[in-house]
Amino acid sequence: MLGFLKSNILSKFVVAITGLILVGFIIGHTLGNLLIFAGPEALNTYAVGLKDLGPGLWVVRIVLIVAFILHIITTINLVRQNKKIATGYKVSNYKASTFSARFMGYAGLTVLFFVLYHLAHFTLGFVDASTFGMETTLENGRVVHDVYSMVVIGFRNVIVSLFYILAVSFLGLHLKHGIHSMFQTLGIHGKKFTPMIQKVSAIVAIIIVISLISIPISIMLGIVGGQV
Amino acid sequence: MNLKLHIWRQKNSKTKGAFEQYAVSDISEDMSFLEMLDVLNEDLIVGGKDPVAFDHDCREGICGSCSMTINGNPHGPEKATTACQLHMRKFNDGQEIYIEPFKNTAFPIIRDLVVDRSAFDRIIQSGGYISIKTGSAPDANDIAVPKAKSDVAMDAAACSGCGACVAACPNGAAMLFTSAKLKHLNVLPQGQAEKKKRTLAMVEQMDKEGFGSCTNHYECEAACPKSISVEFISEMNFEYAKARATAYRD
Ligand code: HEM
Ligand code: SF4
Ligand code: FES
Repeated sequence: MLGFLKSNILSKFVVAITGLILVGFIIGHTLGNLLIFAGPEALNTYAVGLKDLGPGLWVVRIVLIVAFILHIITTINLVRQNKKIATGYKVSNYKASTFSARFMGYAGLTVLFFVLYHLAHFTLGFVDASTFGMETTLENGRVVHDVYSMVVIGFRNVIVSLFYILAVSFLGLHLKHGIHSMFQTLGIHGKKFTPMIQKVSAIVAIIIVISLISIPISIMLGIVGGQV
Repeated sequence: MNLKLHIWRQKNSKTKGAFEQYAVSDISEDMSFLEMLDVLNEDLIVGGKDPVAFDHDCREGICGSCSMTINGNPHGPEKATTACQLHMRKFNDGQEIYIEPFKNTAFPIIRDLVVDRSAFDRIIQSGGYISIKTGSAPDANDIAVPKAKSDVAMDAAACSGCGACVAACPNGAAMLFTSAKLKHLNVLPQGQAEKKKRTLAMVEQMDKEGFGSCTNHYECEAACPKSISVEFISEMNFEYAKARATAYRD
């Protein structure tokens, strides 16, 4: 199944397609998270709505987990090979390469550690079992997991918030290069299209970073979650 | 002008190399970079020392022989310019210049600045040709080639196989070269019959030679003395994936 690793181009296709799935996830996840600004009722209803998908949620989760693992295995393999082949110069002097392009691997690894911690924190409840057990009653009378309070209490911890802000910024750098790269890899290139998608890539990355970072910042400033 | 040079000296592919420092003086601004090295070599020979070995042939920016990395840039700092066409007026008096061979494990160093680029020849041999009956010359306009296609083919065919793309790539990929050679034939009517076979063979030979994989830094395009476009890489990716996906039919 991992035979594609022998071909540089097929490996790149796997990175691009799994990258596309992950970008789709990030956009959806960001939009969902922004519901925190609509208050506890909205966020908790959304969260329980996801859980109610049942098997559907598991299909999505499995696709994401497989995409994530393939993305990581393939990129680590490529980066390790490339490092051995291009041995570098005494003075390096780039004409076209950007910082975000050269930072892809480090940004990716930071995102990996962050995702593991993030899942342990908010999905599995390993980090703070006390908030993970919190419940609340929706307006329709249903008792559900209090995701809102869990997030607010989680982000009141400055260390947790700072790590989150750092990881999200690195994710932004990863996306700035990654999104337009994906099109080039898959064979979508044009004299007008390519410069345009490079700009779009940077804009999407900035919007995602600002949206996600606004959550811990608003919580630390007490703008969100004051009543918890 | 006077310059301080740091040049990579290496006896052969087996020994380890190191930088050596040289001072050259009274260099004319109108000299090419290679002529400046000629001056240095004359001094070295007169002093009974080994001259610096470097590749060159046409000295007119055509052949692609001259290969050296100047202050981290293959062929030097100028856009779309080979080392032989680079003038010394692009440098400042008293400047320090680091001169290294093209570095990539698929291009072993033969001596000093000379590297073995036969990996490129083997990529060409694997599919960079069309099979036709030779004999008397065919009629000039026997096969109609649309202007737009012949322009693209000419752009791609401008690649001289110099290897600067490989040398500039932070991943050591040979995708710009291979994609230009593929496009040159794949876009023309004469290249259609063997298109799929050629795409598979040349890409697979490229992998076999041990080149790296593209992560879209576009350093290759910036270093290329013929300004070959990275759009050929994008097309090659697609054509190769398509050829692999439809291979079951053959
Ligand atoms: C939510 C998480 C992630 C998203 C949305 C994402 C997205 C992307 C995208 C769109 C690409 C470009 C694909 C292409 O060039 O065709 C990419 C490339 C890459 N990713 Fe990720 N990625 C994620 C996580 C990771 C992780 C965890 C790692 C490492 C452990 C990683 C390492 C890389 C590397 C090394 C590349 C190739 C560099 C390049 O093409 O320039 N990524 N990623
Ligand atoms: S693509 Fe450009 S840099 Fe690469 S071998 Fe051809 S001419 Fe040289
Ligand atoms: S010597 Fe021929 S291109 Fe420089």
